[in-house]
Amino acid sequence: MDNPDECVTALGSPSADWPSDDIGALYDQHSRAIFYLALRFLGDPQKAEDATHDVFLKAFRSFGNFRGDASARTWLYRIAINHCQNLNQSWHHRHVQTSADDAIWENSAAKSDSPLRVLETKELGQRIQKTLDSLSEEYRLLLLLVADGELSYEEIAALLGQTADAVRGKLHRARKTFAARFEQTA
Amino acid sequence: MKQQSKFSPEQQHAETHSSQAQTGREFVTAEELLRFDAAQTTVPPQIEERLKRSTQNAAPAQPRPWWKNLFGQ
Repeated sequence: MDNPDECVTALGSPSADWPSDDIGALYDQHSRAIFYLALRFLGDPQKAEDATHDVFLKAFRSFGNFRGDASARTWLYRIAINHCQNLNQSWHHRHVQTSADDAIWENSAAKSDSPLRVLETKELGQRIQKTLDSLSEEYRLLLLLVADGELSYEEIAALLGQTADAVRGKLHRARKTFAARFEQTA
Repeated sequence: MKQQSKFSPEQQHAETHSSQAQTGREFVTAEELLRFDAAQTTVPPQIEERLKRSTQNAAPAQPRPWWKNLFGQ
């Protein structure tokens, strides 16, 4: 979908409480994806809630500038990533490990090609958060965007400022690092 | 001959549940695991209420002038 107007048509009339049909339809269709990205990127439900609100408010304010060059999802992700990165640049950024740390795990992760086994789903969210927190920002974003399943490699590459080939290569390393660190959280 | 179970339905249910818990789940890739996690995540309904209030007080931006689109400014 290249134009947010199309999602209005696809979803029918959004709630009458919205000041504009566009923002209501955008929220209905994309709020889960944006909230999940903010939640796992920031690692704090309250911050994720605030960020999701702010992202859609920014989208509402700049809706007239949306040119439809990218999909509405990609456009919202771009706003969300910028917003979350700005938030992280305060104190959290200093605690994020660098990609040099990732490299150590990539090389040492001998069992990382085996499936990720989860016995207890109760604390799964905490384990996932702990694992993502230990990854570099780049790997974290890459995995979250690929997990969404609605973006092409080209769209993910554009969001991350890289080529599609670089994204494919890094995805393989990000998976290995994630798997190795996830095992450590068991 | 059909063998009678020595367990009550509740016990049988508990046993099945326990066996599922021990078996757990397997995810082939990190993205599959994250997708499962995302599906379990609920968006707090208060965000929508907050956003409705905020957008009613904020005017949407005017459409981008045609000449900015043309010249990419």
